[in-house]
Amino acid sequence: MHAYFTVNTITELICFLISLYCLFNERNNFWKSFIFYLLIVYLVETSGVYLRTLKHNNSMLYTAFLVAECAMMSLFFYHLYEKYKSKAALTLYGWLALFMVIFTLELSENRFAAFPYKTAAVMSVVFVFASCYFYLLVIKDEHFRQLGSYPSFWIVNGILFYYFGGTACNIFYDYLVHQQISPFGISVRYTIYNVLNILLYSCWSYAFICRYRQRNLSSSSL
Amino acid sequence: MQISSKELIFLIFIITFIFLLAPIFLITYITVYNKKKAKYLEEKEELRKVFELELLKSQIEVQERLMQNIADNLHDNIGQLLSLTSVTLSSISPESSQHEKIKTAGDLTIRAIRELRQLSKMMSAQEVIKKNLGHAIAVELDWLKKGTEFSIKFKDNTTHSNEEYADKELILFRLFQEILSNIIKHAQASVITIILDQVPGLLSLSVKDNGKGFAIEEKMKDGAGMGLHNISKRAMMMSGTLSIHSNPGSGTEILVSIPYL
Repeated sequence: MHAYFTVNTITELICFLISLYCLFNERNNFWKSFIFYLLIVYLVETSGVYLRTLKHNNSMLYTAFLVAECAMMSLFFYHLYEKYKSKAALTLYGWLALFMVIFTLELSENRFAAFPYKTAAVMSVVFVFASCYFYLLVIKDEHFRQLGSYPSFWIVNGILFYYFGGTACNIFYDYLVHQQISPFGISVRYTIYNVLNILLYSCWSYAFICRYRQRNLSSSSL
Repeated sequence: MQISSKELIFLIFIITFIFLLAPIFLITYITVYNKKKAKYLEEKEELRKVFELELLKSQIEVQERLMQNIADNLHDNIGQLLSLTSVTLSSISPESSQHEKIKTAGDLTIRAIRELRQLSKMMSAQEVIKKNLGHAIAVELDWLKKGTEFSIKFKDNTTHSNEEYADKELILFRLFQEILSNIIKHAQASVITIILDQVPGLLSLSVKDNGKGFAIEEKMKDGAGMGLHNISKRAMMMSGTLSIHSNPGSGTEILVSIPYL
């Protein structure tokens, strides 16, 4: 039982509970879908731990989750760009098609035996660019937004921290997996991703709270 | 040279740390930029409010001037004509046929009607200004010609009118009235030349007189140039320019140009 309480699972569980509390009465289905997504994240993480305790390879679980992760992030950026009336939103289908091609090619190359880290690396680069493009839209936007309490801004901040911060792990992925270097008894990759997960889910939790407060303010002013 | 595992771990941590610092800088930059944008938008809003206030002032001033003109006209022209008509009519005795007096009374009535029509035309200048500045200036000048001895030349070289700039045209019209009023009060001029010009992106109004002129700097220094300050302030508010050429004894030329598409 103790094995299920890792930094990752606890962070994800807290973020899921915050999303459940803050977004349960959300009228916008897109925001509401974060609850469902975070539930999947938590279930995948605990299932991963379970498979690890059984000494089974859990890479296929994370491989399947990669598709859900890509779809969720892509839809998020699509929703965001559409709000800013940016034509970049139209590239969604193209990007998803490209992702599926790379993903399938890599999986068939390694015969479904390993995590498609190259696809994950490409996906990270795309989401970093997508985040930067969002910042550009914020800068160019004629309307002023209080960024400190702008939920979308904090969701993107979390994404940028997570995917940009994971670059070193992506570059050295092959080495890190095969060498299994563990300076503190935990693998380097795992340690880094613990920090990145904390950053990602802290930003997201804050974004959900901002969204909750905004919704409450707007409904009380009606 | 081979890199040890420890060094590699250290390297990976350093790279990750740097890659985490980069978003922090980026987010900080966006936040600072956003604050500057907020300040800029606030200033823009402030300017918009000032512009609206000045527009309102101009509207009131134009209306006040119009009311003054109406009052003057009623008192000096129409009132006099109707008094004369009344006197003429009362001097006619019912028994005698005095065709001459009846004809005079009729003529006076026709003149009074003509004056009333002119007055009504001037009142509609308020509406005219919203569509055509040149026409409004022409109506104002017609009025001036009637009651004074000035020789007035007006050239309207405008090619088109843009309803989006109606507010700016109203302020420009008010400036024109202010300049004209200054000439009548202080310039001792006999000839006034007005040119309304339009080039792509610009509308300019030039008012020139052959009056006594003045030293611009002195006028500004001794505070007597409040009218000039006002004209300058309003021209700048419309993102326009004002240039004054004047010297004692050699008349004055005032040129106001505003952006106009």
